Amino acid sequence: MDLFKATKAEKWMIKLFIVGLALLWIFPMYSVITNSLKVEGLRNYSYVLTNKINKVPFPYYFVNSFIIALGSSTLVLLTCTLSGFAFSKIEFKFKKIIYNAVIMCLAISGPIILIPFFYILKNLGLYNTHLAVILPEVVMTIPFGVLLMKNYFDSLPSTLIESAHIDGANMWQVFFHIYFPLAKPAMINLGVLQVMWSLQDFLFPLMFLTDSKKFTATVAVNSFKGVYGVTGANLGRYNAALVLIGIPSIIIFACVQKYIVNGITAGAIKD
Amino acid sequence: MSSKRKAQGIHQEHNLTGYLFILPLMILFAVFLVYSFYFLFQTSFQSVTISFKNPEFVGLQNYKIILKDLRFLKSLFNTLLLSGANIFIALTLGFLVSVFLGFRFRGVKFFNSLFFIPAMLPVSFIAAVFSSMLEYKEGTINMFFRAIGLEGLAQQWLSDPHLAMFSVMSVSIFLIGIPIMYYTADIATLNTSILEAAVIDGAGLGQILRFILYPLLKNSHKTIALSMLLGGFREMERVYLMTDGGPGGSTEIIGTYIYRSTRSAGSNLGAVSAAAIIVLIVAFIIAFIQIKFFNSKKGE
Repeated sequence: MDLFKATKAEKWMIKLFIVGLALLWIFPMYSVITNSLKVEGLRNYSYVLTNKINKVPFPYYFVNSFIIALGSSTLVLLTCTLSGFAFSKIEFKFKKIIYNAVIMCLAISGPIILIPFFYILKNLGLYNTHLAVILPEVVMTIPFGVLLMKNYFDSLPSTLIESAHIDGANMWQVFFHIYFPLAKPAMINLGVLQVMWSLQDFLFPLMFLTDSKKFTATVAVNSFKGVYGVTGANLGRYNAALVLIGIPSIIIFACVQKYIVNGITAGAIKD
Repeated sequence: MSSKRKAQGIHQEHNLTGYLFILPLMILFAVFLVYSFYFLFQTSFQSVTISFKNPEFVGLQNYKIILKDLRFLKSLFNTLLLSGANIFIALTLGFLVSVFLGFRFRGVKFFNSLFFIPAMLPVSFIAAVFSSMLEYKEGTINMFFRAIGLEGLAQQWLSDPHLAMFSVMSVSIFLIGIPIMYYTADIATLNTSILEAAVIDGAGLGQILRFILYPLLKNSHKTIALSMLLGGFREMERVYLMTDGGPGGSTEIIGTYIYRSTRSAGSNLGAVSAAAIIVLIVAFIIAFIQIKFFNSKKGE
């Protein structure tokens, strides 16, 4: 059903607007695809896939990206589910102050925190490892994740705790047997979002990884430019590499769009 | 609704259990954030290089340097300009598209996904595509203009100081996926009888958009504006990959400014830390307003 009744002419205008915008949207895609076929056609793709770049086989960059995405997603879920539950259902001293302090950290962004993170990772001996990207990504997502999980637990009734207490269950049993299974939908939303954000991340892998064997796909884009240069046959190869890097994101998006939409809107509009 | 839920919960205190549940979070925050704040604050009064050896206490000198550094002030200005462009495009184009996608016509699902795709892709990918598309000699845009005989429109999109910032900001048009999501979720909860009544009263599309839908979605406008305001401070790769802050610093934003200053050999990280502290304070003020806004919304 339509949002409201529009006249025939108005509906034509709406369609025209949407189609016009869609053409504008398709232009960059058209651009990168035609560029990727320049000079050597599809052989650009086979060249990128079979030749090592920076001494690393191309698919390997994806392996790094996924290790980091899954690692950070797991850690985000662990910390945010436990603390989201605590902030929602357990009474303890300074709860409100700690919660507000955590939420205030939504203000922190990667560039601001770059120097201290660099120093901390160096001193922990983590610089140039997958963890050097995983941990900062986790820390940056936690405020949003805690907000999302707390809101979700707030929507579950607290009476379950009281009756479980009467039956002699402690808080951990209550959490693991009752609330944890109920929280799965929110956890899926948050987990999918973190995978997406991690695959999009550029600054942390650029700053904290120097060994090309550890590079993620997004950082690899940047290094390709230096390796390939941007003229003639190399321009084609560079764009073919770009297309190959965009494809996994689009495939993942097509599969999990629902969870991404649920996750982002749950963190904001619903209370 | 929510305030009632909040009032529930267990009134008896479980201090130890509570702290155990938030322990993983507290460890990560203590090691990474609390220490970072301390580190930035301390370093901002020192003169020190990336080796962090032999720091020298210089008092407020770094703050004086940074507040007089035109490149830093320009980057702060550009960051807000970029946020402003993001917000403006989201509240106009994003709003229109969200409403229009509320109509049923052939392919509406496809268009919905299409407009959303760039929001899922890494910004670094989009920036790389745009930077090769806007390239002067071989870029698709200029080739297109030349092909249709409008050579005069072919420009140095990324290396003309007057155009570069606009080129960077134009990418925002393609990043309306998230705002569309907020609007669509909000539109789904609207009471459509108001819209029906307006149609019966003879209101046209333009009037309904301006006088009914736009005011009705004001909570979404605020949510989007506030989150995008902070989003500007997260930007880095768009400028880094399209213009690298150039030409002549005309597109420098906070993200690239801090990254460049950190990476360039022998630079004084104390001054960069002072810059970070200043930006941090600005960001905290914005976040504070944002939280106040959400809390007041909850109390309704």
